[in-house]
Amino acid sequence: MSASPLKPHALLAEFGTAADIFEAAILCRDAGFSKWDVHTPFPIHGMDEAMGLRKSPVGWFTFCGGMTGFSAGMTMIWYMNKFDYPLVVGGKPLFTPLYAFPVSYEMTILLSAFGTLFGMFFLNRLPKLYNPLFKNERFKKATDDRFFIVIEAADPKFSLEATRAFLTEKCHATAVEIVED
Amino acid sequence: MNPASRFSRTWLALLATAALFVAGRLLGAEHEAAHAAAPAADAHGHGHAAASVGVFSLKQIAHSYLTAYMFCLSLCVGSLFLSLAHHLFDAGWSASIRRVTDTVASLLFPWMVLLVLPIIGFAWAGQLYAWFNIDPSADHALDVKKVLFNKPTFTALVLLLISALGWIANTIRNWSIAQDKDGAAHWTSKSRKLAAGGIFAFAFFTTLICFYLMKSLQHQFFSTMYGVYYFAGSVWVTLITLYLLTFWLGQPGRPLEKVYFKRQQQDLGVLFFAFTVFYAYIHFSQYFLIWNAAIPEETFWYVLREKGSWKWVGMTILFGHFFVPFLLLLNQDIKRNLAVMVPVGAWAWLMHYIDMTYNVMPVIHPDGLQLTFWDPLFWFGMAGLIGFLFWRKYQTAAPYPLKDPRLKEAVTHHEVPAPGAAAAH
Repeated sequence: MSASPLKPHALLAEFGTAADIFEAAILCRDAGFSKWDVHTPFPIHGMDEAMGLRKSPVGWFTFCGGMTGFSAGMTMIWYMNKFDYPLVVGGKPLFTPLYAFPVSYEMTILLSAFGTLFGMFFLNRLPKLYNPLFKNERFKKATDDRFFIVIEAADPKFSLEATRAFLTEKCHATAVEIVED
Repeated sequence: MNPASRFSRTWLALLATAALFVAGRLLGAEHEAAHAAAPAADAHGHGHAAASVGVFSLKQIAHSYLTAYMFCLSLCVGSLFLSLAHHLFDAGWSASIRRVTDTVASLLFPWMVLLVLPIIGFAWAGQLYAWFNIDPSADHALDVKKVLFNKPTFTALVLLLISALGWIANTIRNWSIAQDKDGAAHWTSKSRKLAAGGIFAFAFFTTLICFYLMKSLQHQFFSTMYGVYYFAGSVWVTLITLYLLTFWLGQPGRPLEKVYFKRQQQDLGVLFFAFTVFYAYIHFSQYFLIWNAAIPEETFWYVLREKGSWKWVGMTILFGHFFVPFLLLLNQDIKRNLAVMVPVGAWAWLMHYIDMTYNVMPVIHPDGLQLTFWDPLFWFGMAGLIGFLFWRKYQTAAPYPLKDPRLKEAVTHHEVPAPGAAAAH
């Protein structure tokens, strides 16, 4: 391997149609790759299953955010109206979940949204300042009319020659090239 | 988690809520006993029958019948809404189950019109709506509403409005059946135009129908949210009914076998979940606004419903109609898990019936919930009749719109047309 002047980051395989990359994704999934991804100019329905992606755990961040928001809202209103500065308004009780509900509900939504956004960032290891794919000329077409599969060199099943052959011969990629680190 | 343990968890949650309900019932009974010693009734001048009503009295029969009718009407107007929404949004996924909603909705005419006749009869006999027996000049609350709340207008409008909704439903269904023969796209565009006007008619008419039949039991009450509250509960119970019905119809060897997929199941489950939230939002808003404004003309309605065991019925609705299904169905995959959805469906039927009871029965049983054998009799009787009529009518046409232009989307969407790709179905 030391003969190669390049230090490969990944193999980039290009496909011409959604159908081709869908087939190829199924093959990559079944070949057991773990550090790989699909890049397409538009969402392809069914790709999640074709790639064998598990359900995203981001919902748990949403749920925790929502619960935090709800309890924070209730606690805040209880603390302010009943504990810290009791003040009768309109003959209403100092605290009841009834009037605290609308605000707690808004807090639930707000912190659910935060949980979702930051949970997604966390799970995707974002923000990330640099990715070697950025300087690849061919990859720019991922936002135009080409479909790409990227298998990273860090994948335990990665082997420069075997994986390249797999992508060209089995998956029928129209082009395969090395992405330098 | 394996399905069996999820199944038992669902039941555990439902049983816990049922236990709350029973506990509340017992507490309410205790409360009644305590008050029996000092029967000086709370006279707040909002003239509902103070004394409880005998099991065999016409009043009891009339109110039990009305509760059952409102429940069955929910399924019909809920289905009509879904058919209208399908056309309004030019939806694809629901094309395959549309014949079912069209058919349930089409029972509005003539069947729901015929079934409302006893209610009109009970009303004229003075057994249902207190305002039928009151001279408007002696009751300010009635006097200001007498434009709508007078006997001839009540009778004419109730019949007319249900018939009008029935006409919309039957027209859409008939156009869809006509399309089965020639496949012409103009049937779809005609239905879309009818739905555009029909949705306004639907909103106004459904609101007026439930104002007349249910809200006018206490004619002094004001709530502009009452119509949308009935609507939200109606679509809610319709969606879970439709979920289970179309699942059954979609099994191998049954009529919807070729057009019913996971996507339809998931979408119906998601919509049911959405309406769980929507109903809670609407009912909470109605309660909260009345609570916050604290105007006697409005609060008396809930004050009555916080006496005796009605308070616990209210709690059962809060937890059983919202929190239990909401928390159970939060997870995306649960919406396709029958071990959860089947008990939730039965539960939703019970909850919607309790919701109707909560609206109707406190008028004659102000001390607390009092179920009689008439309630299940009319409930199951009328729901059974509606089910039978649906099934008979459903078989008179193709089980789904055969040549609907959107049917292809309903059966292929979310599946990539890849040559040789292993089809998901």
